[in-house]
Amino acid sequence: MTSKATAGSQSSLREANRSLVLQTVQRWGGLTQVELVAATGLSPATVSTIVRDLLSAGLVDTAVTTRSGRRAQLVTVARRVGLAVGIHVGHRHLRIALGDFAHEVVAEQSLPLPTDHRVDTTLDRAALLVVDLLERVGASLDEITGVGVGVPAPVDSATGLISVRGIMRGWDEVHLGQTLSKRIGRPVFVDNDANLGALAESTLGAAKAFRDSVYVRASYGVGAGIVIDGRVHRGFAGTAGEIGHVQVNSAGAICGCGNRGCLDTVVGAAALVESLRVNRGALALRDVIQLANEGDQGCARVVADAGAQIGAVVAGLGQAVNPQIVVVGGELAETGELLLGPMREAITRRIPVNQIAPLEVVPAALGGRAEVVGALLLALQAADVEVRVDGEDEVEVG
Amino acid sequence: MNSTAAPLLSLRGVTKRFGAVEALVGVDLDVHAHEVVALVGDNAAGKSTLAKVVAGVLQPDSGLIEMSGQPVTLPTPASAHDLGVATVFQDLALCENLDVTANLFLGREVRGTFARNDAHMEQVARGVLAALASRIPSVRTPLSHLSAGQRQTVAIARTLIGEPRLVVLDEPTAALSVVQTAEVLTHIERLRDLGMGVILISHNMTDVRAVADRVEVLRHGRNNGSFDAQRASYEEIIAAITGATRIEPPLHPVETSLSAVG
Repeated sequence: MTSKATAGSQSSLREANRSLVLQTVQRWGGLTQVELVAATGLSPATVSTIVRDLLSAGLVDTAVTTRSGRRAQLVTVARRVGLAVGIHVGHRHLRIALGDFAHEVVAEQSLPLPTDHRVDTTLDRAALLVVDLLERVGASLDEITGVGVGVPAPVDSATGLISVRGIMRGWDEVHLGQTLSKRIGRPVFVDNDANLGALAESTLGAAKAFRDSVYVRASYGVGAGIVIDGRVHRGFAGTAGEIGHVQVNSAGAICGCGNRGCLDTVVGAAALVESLRVNRGALALRDVIQLANEGDQGCARVVADAGAQIGAVVAGLGQAVNPQIVVVGGELAETGELLLGPMREAITRRIPVNQIAPLEVVPAALGGRAEVVGALLLALQAADVEVRVDGEDEVEVG
Repeated sequence: MNSTAAPLLSLRGVTKRFGAVEALVGVDLDVHAHEVVALVGDNAAGKSTLAKVVAGVLQPDSGLIEMSGQPVTLPTPASAHDLGVATVFQDLALCENLDVTANLFLGREVRGTFARNDAHMEQVARGVLAALASRIPSVRTPLSHLSAGQRQTVAIARTLIGEPRLVVLDEPTAALSVVQTAEVLTHIERLRDLGMGVILISHNMTDVRAVADRVEVLRHGRNNGSFDAQRASYEEIIAAITGATRIEPPLHPVETSLSAVG
């Protein structure tokens, strides 16, 4: 809460109350005026006045609704022009975000998913979540211009089908875009999640100031998105940047894609967890991350080694693309320098230093939301909405 | 996740009969700290009976209960609560006419020097709701104004009052919408991250496999398989639930010695 007026004055108090009300509405997506009174602790009259102010300033919208059978005034974050939906289907989480044309996320929800989740159940839950989230902000399906979907597998953008078999068990045969658009009744665009992370980071995040960048998604599997001259490079069949399936060990285990010794068989969640099973028992990937951050030596070592191994492969990609910056996202990036330090070392050691500008390796500015925000951007771009990039207030990071 | 330490809760050979009905027969169950154990099975498999034994509502006819390696008895719900067991039953047991804070502290109100310490209770209530990253705007909202999912959140938040070690959730996602299910599952992940042991009873295999570390199958009151939730397929678990696969029950020294006496 910043205020231009001096602290303690009437106007600074009014300013503080105003931003408290606005923050509360932003936090909950949609609240009735009575709930706002309870949530902020302000008087009903004050809330009423502030809501009227915010309404005329175009910061909130109001609508008539019912709560417990009574008429009530629903206050929501103002939406500019229309809405789009971003869906990120991860290995263990489904993330959904509703955003408006100014890239403001107005509501979001995540849902834990089982290992090898089934395509029918997950798409069904995704469609129901979209409807539930729309209800939360008091909007209808008609207001949605498009839906962007990210999946952890290469996608052929022309058909919206997964282009390499075996990477997502049971998802190969299903026409994801068609299935979802039939349910929701709006156009659906499907892409690889690392490509969407790259799109989000180069449009709104850490790579915003650069024309050529690489986004590395270190999660249950590893993938990369390549941005050349400000545009995501997907390749002919959408497999560009699939660094998880670069061979790193010619005598290694057979990967889901059918090849031997892919990077995913060495630094994927299954491999990381397996290498800790001897002394730590069964761990989930989130435990490895949590323990590494708490200073557990074994877990930190596993993360650091994974960073070095990913870095060695990213270096090859770096040679081909010559990016100005490498942005690292995905769950493993939550360990910060534990992963990034060895990765940076492995990359810079293999790439000749150019005289113009050294290659930077940085964490994703959008954090765990990069992919879902990218899915949102994909839907907005496909709807021919001009993408505005003119300030820091567009997508709240956090 | 720390498999070397003694389990938070360990049941060995727990048996409970209601007349001719064998609700539980020689059931074993281990729950470690920082672990979500799902208890699955058909109707009348004994899931809720086991939850009631752990919550101190029912007393087993025979069997051994250990907490952190120490043998314990759970004669009443209060004694179970004192040992750090918090339970959310299917009916939630919340009061419609009271607000969120009052429900969280129901029967355990904090007393100040002269009267109830409302300010302190509200502060703690805000704290536990924040710890769950919940979507309840105000701790003063009466329960009658909340949705089914928000009520489940209040019931789960109530288990956090008094810093429990083990949380038992009986069918927390039954009859909830997908967005409410998403919130409850996220809360269960939070409980695990906070280092608690969780027993999750559910019929929904998707929910179970999404958050559980281990799946224990009960069939006709007996153990019928234990699965690593990350490795086991739907088919394997469902085969165990329906009895298509059977496991030979191990012999329990505790149960055999007790049955020899009685």
